[in-house]
Amino acid sequence: MDIPQLSAVAHPLREDQLTMRVTKGAQIIAGSALLALAVAACGGGETPATGGGTAAAQPVRVEIAEPQHELVPGNTAETSGAEVLNALFIGLVNYDAEKKPINQIAESITSDDQTNWTIKLKDGYKFHDGTAVDAQSFVDSWNYTANGANAYEGNYFMGSIAGYAEMNPVDPDGEGEQVAPAATATTLSGLKVVDNLTFTVQLTNPFSGFPTMLGYTAFYPMPKAAFGPDGKVTEAYGKSPIGNGPFKMAKPWERGKDQAISVVRNDDYKEGKAKIDAVDFKIYTDLNTAYRDLQAGNLDIMDQLPAEAIGSAKAEFGDRYIEQPSSGIGYIGFPIKNGADYAKNADARKAISMAIDRKTITETVFSGTRVPADDFISPVVSGYRQGACGEACTYDPVKAKALYDQAGGASLGPIEIGYNADGGHKEWIEAVANNLRTNLGAEVTPKPVEKFATILDDLGAEKWKGGFRMAWIMDYPSPENYLKPIFAAGAGSNYSGFNNKEFEEHIKAGDSAKTLEEGIAAYQAADDILLKELPYIPVYFYQTNGAYSQHVKNVKIDPFERIDLFNVEKV
Amino acid sequence: MSNSTITASPPKHAKSGKGKKPASLWSDAWYDLRHSKVFLFGAALALLLVIVAAFPSLFSPLDAFDKSTCDLARARDGLDATHWFGSDNLGCDTYSRVIYGARVSIIVGIVATLVTSLVGGFLGLLAGFYGRWTDVLLSRVAEIFFAIPSILGALLILAVVGRDNAGIGSVVLALSVLAWPLVLRIMRAAVITTKSQDFVLAARALGAGPIRIMIRHILPNALAPVIVVTTMNLGVFIAAEAGLSFLGVGIQSPDISWGLMIADARNRFLEAPAPLLFPALFLSITVLAFVMLGDAVRDALDPKLR
Repeated sequence: MDIPQLSAVAHPLREDQLTMRVTKGAQIIAGSALLALAVAACGGGETPATGGGTAAAQPVRVEIAEPQHELVPGNTAETSGAEVLNALFIGLVNYDAEKKPINQIAESITSDDQTNWTIKLKDGYKFHDGTAVDAQSFVDSWNYTANGANAYEGNYFMGSIAGYAEMNPVDPDGEGEQVAPAATATTLSGLKVVDNLTFTVQLTNPFSGFPTMLGYTAFYPMPKAAFGPDGKVTEAYGKSPIGNGPFKMAKPWERGKDQAISVVRNDDYKEGKAKIDAVDFKIYTDLNTAYRDLQAGNLDIMDQLPAEAIGSAKAEFGDRYIEQPSSGIGYIGFPIKNGADYAKNADARKAISMAIDRKTITETVFSGTRVPADDFISPVVSGYRQGACGEACTYDPVKAKALYDQAGGASLGPIEIGYNADGGHKEWIEAVANNLRTNLGAEVTPKPVEKFATILDDLGAEKWKGGFRMAWIMDYPSPENYLKPIFAAGAGSNYSGFNNKEFEEHIKAGDSAKTLEEGIAAYQAADDILLKELPYIPVYFYQTNGAYSQHVKNVKIDPFERIDLFNVEKV
Repeated sequence: MSNSTITASPPKHAKSGKGKKPASLWSDAWYDLRHSKVFLFGAALALLLVIVAAFPSLFSPLDAFDKSTCDLARARDGLDATHWFGSDNLGCDTYSRVIYGARVSIIVGIVATLVTSLVGGFLGLLAGFYGRWTDVLLSRVAEIFFAIPSILGALLILAVVGRDNAGIGSVVLALSVLAWPLVLRIMRAAVITTKSQDFVLAARALGAGPIRIMIRHILPNALAPVIVVTTMNLGVFIAAEAGLSFLGVGIQSPDISWGLMIADARNRFLEAPAPLLFPALFLSITVLAFVMLGDAVRDALDPKLR
């Protein structure tokens, strides 16, 4: 999934959405200026909802960026929304420390041929409105997400289930004039409810990693109450989702208006009661503001600190500082199909990659809390090969310059690198820009944009021609997740426009392997193609650098950058 | 100078040697200024800063805009012989950036001052001279702008302009839009006072037209308070530019501004204080220089302080 703070999300938008968004954006810009003043004036000590007087009565306050959409599981593909939904929902599986799926709602997930899967549920799980979590609630939710007409962010994740193609007809000429034919189905033919607690899933192709996907946000179930009389997820549900997890919404959340999302403990939760009674997810547009609130005691948990603060945070927070490897990768991407000349040229991209001094950037700008990237697959999943990127990711200014000049040099025009100003990216992008200026002799313009969504929208509309920063955090622990969703033709998060037949075939071979382990060689072959073409340039692997206040303890952040709020305790 | 410019204030230092010319407010003021240590010090400092802004390469061996002089390996290093003020987060030389950063501050200060005094002064002259509906209209419009809190107003204007278009021009615009009413008020008050004086009535009786009266008789006598305010404003504008750039809505990288440098360095202040302290120091000195200048000019021109 794309990371919003660190990054964020992506998907081509329809025209009507685009307009809506532009207006919203303008409001937010003006709003954030006012907010900045308010925060500067009073230290930002607002405590919405259950805010009582003493610290003990206060909800635990967690930093997030503004979720991209209303809070519907199928429509949430960025970390901030997922963070909130993770408190409200639980999925079929959860993951252990080794990132292996362990059954949560699922009693068992079995298959003989990797294509037809039978999922049995445990009895007794309930939604916040008291209705049972049954097989139908999963099937309804997945069907709705899979329906192309709903344009949900999680749509892509249903792509492996039989019947997806009928619901999402392909546009015959891509983004061109012709319109896609009408969908011939509104439900996935591959989903069948057997009884209350059993359903079967038929995939289009064998996919050995299927169970690893099922803990992801898009696969959460939704209750009957989510759907209106017209069968659509209601607007009210998006503002106040009814989940099945340890927390429930305290009050509806108005996106773009409310600066916090408040949830309270669900006392009827089957697995017991959470140790804290309320959580406020506070929305920040700037990590540094959030960090100052954390220092001042106005915020309790941050799962990603601003880069500038990491050097001093270790000493300042001591035991309350969290550092652990994470599944994220930071890239610089290029629209290789519709972009500027340097973006379209594979040699130029390789030269740019070779001109980036990853080691020094991770050591100085990130104070050693990121590591140089050398593969498209993260070291936290199997399939990663150290140094797979080889020459292309090795800092060599001389060769880079020669290669760049050979590719066209100055005639390729000034290099532009866009980044979102709200996520702490300025420094490293400036550092990369300096590398390119010095080593390639190119003119480089770092281009800050208010929100990451702006870049993604422009990429979707083919208006963004230059480079852009990008990051990816895994949705489920499989090498496939670092390849297919980002680089497969037509994939939801394919912003580079990468389209390679051979790549797709290797992915397909990996997917249909008997087990996840057996598929790895094929995924690596696909990885090799990326390393040659470099639609994105891998720059660094993320680490999670979080910290929490003195008000809380037992804060654990999972490899998905989600906080285990169920086990957080008040001091 | 014409007789009409002789003012009511008694010539205190009129007998200074050559004293053949009748002493005017201006010659008096100039005499005062030349003998004011505050003025001389402020003026020298301001002059130096203007020279630095105009010819930064005379003062810094490195070109701060040439990013190839930045070396990431040197990021946040302390002070040494070649990098007098240390290096910033990206390994760029802080000294050269501070020197090159003077230009933005000085340009914004001077241009915003010019714009506000010309616009505010001209409209104030009209409002004060013509009175009646001209005055009502202009004063009310000015009051509308006056009512907007300055930093908040500037933030909003710059947020509307957007990051892509932000730069010296937009900062000058934001500051000027909010500052001209002050000049208008002062000019208007001065013009109203002057208008009722005898020499104006005399000029009118002699058949002088309104334009001639305004330019030849009223303007020279109403200018003093405006000059005081504008000199003081210069320092204020420079501080405001740094403030707006600090907040991220003013000057944008790769342009260099002290406010921007402070903003970039603030999160790592404990680790590396130099990249924050030096631009802050220069900012303080610059503002101080112009405030001192303004103070001295006020002392010299304000008859009430004599």
